[in-house]
Amino acid sequence: MGLASTTTGSEGIQFCIFDLKRGQEEGQELDKILFFFPTDLPFSTQLSVIGLSEGLITFTRIFSPEAACEVIEAERHSHVFYQAEPDIWMVMVVEKNKEAEAIWRIGALQQVLKEVHSLFMMFHGSIRALLEKEPGGGLARSHLYFFVMDYLTDFLSGKKLQLPSFRDCLKERGTVQMLTVGREAAIEVQSLVRVVESACAGNAACSSLVLFQDLLVSTTLSPDDTVNLFAYAILRLTPLALSSGSSSWSYLRKGSPASLITTGFIPGNSVSVTEPTYTSRDTSPGRQGQRYHVPRPLQRDKWSKGKDGFLVLETSGAEVGGLNSSTPTVWLRQTDERMYLCVFQQKNLTIILLIPVSSMINGEQGISMVKRQILENASLKILKVDEKLSRGWGGENAYHVRGYRYLLFDGDRNVSRASPPGKVTTLSKDSLLSLNRLREEVDLEKNRARHDDPSHEKDLEVCIRAKNNAWVIARVTRGKELYMVLEKANETLLYASDAVEKFSNRYCNGAFSLD
Amino acid sequence: MESDSDISTSFDVATDQNPNTNPPETTEEQLQTLTVDETYGVADLNETSNQRGMDEAENGSVVAEVDGRPEPQIEELLAGGPPTISAVSEAVEEVLDLSSAGDTLRDDFELEADPPLSPSSSGYAGERGSSITTSASGIEEVDGDEIDEIDEAMAPLDGSGDASSDSVPWIPGKKHVDEDDASISWRKRKKHFFVLSHSGKPIYSRYGDEYKLAGFSATLQAIISFVENGGDHVKFVRAGKHQVVFLVKGPIYLVCISCTEEPYEALRGQLDLIYGQTILILTKSVNRCFEKNPKFDMTPLLGGTDAVYSSLIHSFSWNPATFLHAYTCLPLAYPTRQAAGAILQDVAESGVLFAILMCKHKVVSLVGAQKASLHPDDMLLLSNFIVSCESFRTSESFSPICLPRYNPMAFLYAYVHYLDVDTYLVLLTTSSDAFYHLKDCRIRIEMVLLKSNVLSEVQRSMLDGGLRVEDLPPLDPSPRSGFLSLHLGQERLVTESQERLKEAYLGIGGPAGLWHFIYRSIFLDQYVSSEFSPPINSSSQQKRLCRAYQKLYASMHDRGIGPHKTQFRRDENYVLLCWMTQDFELYAAFDPLADKALAIETCNRVCQWVRDVENEIFLLGASPFSWYGCCLWCCKEWRWC
Repeated sequence: MGLASTTTGSEGIQFCIFDLKRGQEEGQELDKILFFFPTDLPFSTQLSVIGLSEGLITFTRIFSPEAACEVIEAERHSHVFYQAEPDIWMVMVVEKNKEAEAIWRIGALQQVLKEVHSLFMMFHGSIRALLEKEPGGGLARSHLYFFVMDYLTDFLSGKKLQLPSFRDCLKERGTVQMLTVGREAAIEVQSLVRVVESACAGNAACSSLVLFQDLLVSTTLSPDDTVNLFAYAILRLTPLALSSGSSSWSYLRKGSPASLITTGFIPGNSVSVTEPTYTSRDTSPGRQGQRYHVPRPLQRDKWSKGKDGFLVLETSGAEVGGLNSSTPTVWLRQTDERMYLCVFQQKNLTIILLIPVSSMINGEQGISMVKRQILENASLKILKVDEKLSRGWGGENAYHVRGYRYLLFDGDRNVSRASPPGKVTTLSKDSLLSLNRLREEVDLEKNRARHDDPSHEKDLEVCIRAKNNAWVIARVTRGKELYMVLEKANETLLYASDAVEKFSNRYCNGAFSLD
Repeated sequence: MESDSDISTSFDVATDQNPNTNPPETTEEQLQTLTVDETYGVADLNETSNQRGMDEAENGSVVAEVDGRPEPQIEELLAGGPPTISAVSEAVEEVLDLSSAGDTLRDDFELEADPPLSPSSSGYAGERGSSITTSASGIEEVDGDEIDEIDEAMAPLDGSGDASSDSVPWIPGKKHVDEDDASISWRKRKKHFFVLSHSGKPIYSRYGDEYKLAGFSATLQAIISFVENGGDHVKFVRAGKHQVVFLVKGPIYLVCISCTEEPYEALRGQLDLIYGQTILILTKSVNRCFEKNPKFDMTPLLGGTDAVYSSLIHSFSWNPATFLHAYTCLPLAYPTRQAAGAILQDVAESGVLFAILMCKHKVVSLVGAQKASLHPDDMLLLSNFIVSCESFRTSESFSPICLPRYNPMAFLYAYVHYLDVDTYLVLLTTSSDAFYHLKDCRIRIEMVLLKSNVLSEVQRSMLDGGLRVEDLPPLDPSPRSGFLSLHLGQERLVTESQERLKEAYLGIGGPAGLWHFIYRSIFLDQYVSSEFSPPINSSSQQKRLCRAYQKLYASMHDRGIGPHKTQFRRDENYVLLCWMTQDFELYAAFDPLADKALAIETCNRVCQWVRDVENEIFLLGASPFSWYGCCLWCCKEWRWC
């Protein structure tokens, strides 16, 4: 028992979460720190990272009171900022290293920070609320520790943390990947959704997500909540996620079985142990974890498929803060409501049903009822839908378009589609670096346009013939973005434009066509 | 460094007077301007000439001279220590001693920049504009106040909105001295530049009073050293639209805080030029002052140079040379430039390191002694220094300057003489006592230039302007029979149809919506840019275009992966095309609705046009590489591919 050495992967990456409202008096600075990775870094080093961050947050406000500090770019490191909640900041410090391919896009790293915070909120509510619940900070710290560490585990590649680098420039975190379904199948799916959601007793407002493999088929949630639950499903719930070890082709998982925290760390069914040495500023979350019994929804290999097809989260007894139930709950942004997370899986289909906690007076019993209902009413339909979707499914290269390496992204709907990762790897390093750089430029232009006039949608077209003769292309129009690398189109600018036009007409309903 | 302080003495020596003749008198005069600024308790050495003059006074004599006046007590605001005037002067002396300027004599720097310096600004349009119309003369914005820029940027491209701002000429020198970091207006300025010492002492600030910004300056220093202490070097910080860019040059720190769209690379390049300008005035040996005393206050050394900095900063928004690292020539008939070159060459052989004949920021001719070559950035800094110091205009001058790219450690001596309102001759030498010789050289050159009508040709070229997109000839696939002159009046071949075409383009640029272009020849280190024509006629539009080019340049020249070969970029404001080959770089701006295929064809036409008139627009043979033999004729494949 004890904390696994978290020096694994610590080289080159630091990750901290701090609260500027706390620790304002001299000598109390440690109180600011809510999370720090690597955990074994001396406090002085932790404080120095936070000190610089805080200094620059204050400094940039002199000139830019309306927009917070986003990045400190130094020769050897990038410090990426994300203001998660008022006065609560997440900062990631990454080391640059050309040989190790540690070349980052700031926007992509910010997306990581945003994602971990969104997921945290979904399970635990806001960090501020936890701090208010227990002003000592121990509760928030222990929740953050387990959650963020479990989240970072997914970036472990061997013994190193592998954050999204330039190689991931044809991916967009924080978006949903959809399965394209025919009209007939869509109707089937719709009717399935109706049946599933009606399984909830009474007039409770249930919501659902249906996934086929790692692709979304249907959702009745708001876009924000869809993105969060989709991300979680890909990380832990879909058949691919459950068959641990097999690597997913989704951008979200690297498929490494290792963990930043040893799995045996929290003894099952143990009673809360209060450490006598515990103080409110004790940032060693290991001890706090024992003290608070933190649920770990992102812990690996804890979900398994039960005999009835419903997924079960292996819990350690009195878990799940305050709720007398073993069914995990999530908090929805849109409705500001806690929901039971009920997951059914059959073959390629994963159905996530969200039932308002408030509607379930008798807790687990009620949920069992719902499950039974689903099995009774929807089993056949589920089989049918799965069959139909499987028949139309072209495999993991379904969305490959020959000659193109692309990312298509609809910012309004948070939906993206991209060339399959296996195909992207055929691109040369130079092409990927060029596109990564171009994306960085476009990010800047987009941010700028957003600050100038949020209602104004940026319209931009860039075609670059890189040194290696590849065409690297970005198109932004009406909230939609298209990024593309054409390596084989060794021809003219007009040829490249034509290729984009064709792609746009065929796959984007002409969204990027000029006429 | 307040240029508009109450005391402003100019030490212009009468045109024919040898500055060497009467040093003691000069020194005495200069010392009289050494005043104590009661407000801040800081010695306000408001003329560069003071410092240099002091150097003349033999060791310690400064104090003696001052003795007769009310005891000046100088307090260093930041250091807290109370160094006396002698300490300051010692430091000053040291700088000049180290930089082997010990025996220089005088300068003609003038404190008060007498506004307005007829702004040369707009690249080409300025020259035309200043005589024909007052509107197009490349002004930054209403008296450089960038607060309003946001609105400008949002205004439609019709140009009507900025008319008022265009009629106000840009005036060099520091603005808004009354502000400091507590002022809302100061915080809202769109682009700040700071120079500070590694101990956090302010050296220069674009806006606001340096002394009042001491605290702010210390903050900047703290950020830089905090990161340095962690074994790293901070490059920039970004927050929303704001970027804070840092550049550390030994003991001198430079910072830009900007919410303009310029990319990091461009802003960093600008800081580099500001540093270069500082070195041009002081040489890099100023570093040794910091080695000796980390709290050394450099401000007095730069007293009176506000106009130089403000003019340089102004040029960032109109002069492509600031990011292209190339210079541009005044268009002239080939024989005319040859004639000018010949006489300069003559002079260069008599011990002159560089002989440069310039008109505003454009080169008429340039000759270097054997093997010596002049970096375009040095030319930019030198011409900025000369053009922004009013005193150079009124008398011949002999002034120590340092060319940072040539040799950052040593002073050269520049003999500067204006031949007419805009045209000036610069003779650079390593010898501090060459004044008379250079004066003789100048007289000879001037005579030849007058006799051969070079000067009148220069003035005429200023009036005529350079390449205009409206005049772009059609692409001629057959070998060119004649020789198309770009604008030289009587030689111009204008067919009726061309004239009609030109009328059709009036106000909408050239063919295919071509608005503007820049062509940079790699081997020549030179560029040529077209005149700003409508619709790029207001200064804010010119500035926006300049910044768009900067962005394009930075994108094409990415250090990690560049240079790219081609770029097409379309946004709400422009279609921009960039095409880079081994020989040249072409940057072209079109109407945002321009047709891609036509734009490409037009770029080919531009390249052909530039080649057709290269004799007139470039200075050939100035570079060690002869562009002629090496790449122009053997490179057949120069079309877009």
